[in-house]
Amino acid sequence: MLDIKKNLDGSTLEFVLDGRLDTITAPQLEEEVKSSLDGVTDLIFNFDGLAYVSSAGLRVLLSSQKTMNEKGTMVVKNVSDEIQEIFDVTGFSDILTIE
Amino acid sequence: MNTSWDNEKLTIELEGRIDSGNAAAVENEISEVLKDKEPSDLILDAEKLDYISSAGLRIILRLRKKYPGLRIINVKSDVFEILDMTGFTEMMTVEKAYRRVSIEGCEEIGRGANGSLYRIDKDNVVKIYNNADALADIQHEREVARLALILGIPTAISYDVVKVGNSYGSVFELLNARSFSNILSTEPEKLDWCVDQYVEMLKRIHSTEVPEGKLPDMKETVISWATFMQDYLPEESGKKLLALVEAVPHDNHMIHGDYHTKNLELQDDEVLLIDMDTLAVGHPIFELGSMFNAYRGFFELDHDAILSFQKFSYELAEQFWYKTLAKYLGTEDKEVIRSVEDKARIIGYTRLIRRSIRRGGLEDEARKAEIDHWTKELIELLDRTDTLLFENDLEKADRNHELDIEAIEENLGEVMAFIDEQLETVGCSMKSQMQIDIAAEEIFVNICKYAYHPEKGRAVVRVGVTDEPVQVKITFIDHGKPYDPLLKDDPDVTLSAEEREIGGLGIFMVKQTMDAVEYEYKDGSNILTLVKNI
Repeated sequence: MLDIKKNLDGSTLEFVLDGRLDTITAPQLEEEVKSSLDGVTDLIFNFDGLAYVSSAGLRVLLSSQKTMNEKGTMVVKNVSDEIQEIFDVTGFSDILTIE
Repeated sequence: MNTSWDNEKLTIELEGRIDSGNAAAVENEISEVLKDKEPSDLILDAEKLDYISSAGLRIILRLRKKYPGLRIINVKSDVFEILDMTGFTEMMTVEKAYRRVSIEGCEEIGRGANGSLYRIDKDNVVKIYNNADALADIQHEREVARLALILGIPTAISYDVVKVGNSYGSVFELLNARSFSNILSTEPEKLDWCVDQYVEMLKRIHSTEVPEGKLPDMKETVISWATFMQDYLPEESGKKLLALVEAVPHDNHMIHGDYHTKNLELQDDEVLLIDMDTLAVGHPIFELGSMFNAYRGFFELDHDAILSFQKFSYELAEQFWYKTLAKYLGTEDKEVIRSVEDKARIIGYTRLIRRSIRRGGLEDEARKAEIDHWTKELIELLDRTDTLLFENDLEKADRNHELDIEAIEENLGEVMAFIDEQLETVGCSMKSQMQIDIAAEEIFVNICKYAYHPEKGRAVVRVGVTDEPVQVKITFIDHGKPYDPLLKDDPDVTLSAEEREIGGLGIFMVKQTMDAVEYEYKDGSNILTLVKNI
């Protein structure tokens, strides 16, 4: 299960994620991201409540990063040690801006 | 030059020094011997060979070209060094000279199908093989004992091969050991304790998975017995016997093959398995068949004969066997126990009848009576048996750790919940658990997407946990298209976001985070195994 909360502040959009980002839930997030990026220059993923990311989730992060590289910034914050480890293994630590 | 023929096998004894001075003469002499008759096997006995130069080595090379199976035996250590340095020991079988051991006045502490066991001093025993040409047998037993030990079965491994008279023996350490036959015969009140120990070891053997091809397949052996029996059974019964054996599925778990109380030793407080030369893989019913023989089958008509073999009475053997079956099957239900015993008897009688007939039993009145008795029982059993399979504890336990589920993405949650539930018993870290979950998701989703596409099918997920080392093993089985995901190229994880392709990371993560990932396509199934050390 994944709970997605959106906070829009001007052109800054924050997604607060709670739950698991996996094969089942990643398409929901992808849908949300796609439909919300109009006029957004700064995108934030808040992983505070996120317990799990599989490769399906990484795909969403990568495609979001590609989109934002053309129109602004993207930040991932409050990453747990376990998820940081996944980012390290896959080279995502170098692609993403992790705070 | 001494030479000796044993049927088609020729042994040539090399002597003294072979160097450029006499090499030509030696080669001529050998050619003379080979002129009259072609040996099937050629053995060079180097017991009296003191030195060999390169001229001599060239003779051996030429001989080996003609006789690829050429062996050099009884090699002294100086000569062995030469053969080792020149790479000959890797090219052909080179056997060192053996230490000589005498067993005069030594106590015989055991006797099995292939040899006898003597205690040569306080700490050591020697197993002398009946077969005079036993080196291959010794080598085999040593290898399988080593394999068993690595796989976690406590056993004694021989550390030296010796000559005893004209026979070969293998020496191993066995301190203060007593066989379970000895315990049962001298302290029958320990019956229940012995059953517990015996069954515990049996289960340990039967739950040990053996890598493919490392041990002979018992099913093939039993098929050969059943095939032999076709000439000695009514056509109907013969066909049924063969069909029953053929229907037993391949099983890669270990069986001992000669598991009776003389082959189980108590050394201090440790239980050790010995006599490993019959080790095989196969369904446990084959083991139960030979166990039935050791306590009942062999002695059904001659109850007293068991005394000289096991040193305990037929009545005790009957009790021991029944209690063993009950404990092994994890039931007190007499019907269930009898039904498994009947299956074991089919295997047991088949073996006994064949064995006795091959040893001329039909020509001896008393033994013919036994063959007739076993045959009558066997025909009657075959008449009312439809399968040799039975449900044992191990399988029951295994099934608890197995999930058989439709391979659709909607079921991912259930697969994850199943795996996490199994992992709870292990107590692994958050990090390991997440890595295992990610890997499992990847594999399961792959099966959902590709294995049966565009059709649907099922997947089996099996979780196994071992204690030492603590290791989690998750196996995924599907019956879809053959596909090895491990062949996929790894993505370049150093590229920038723009250069990166979306996707392709899943299998890479699996490979990076698991300690081993194996793929196999067998009998129409994709079998993918993840191993993670905890």
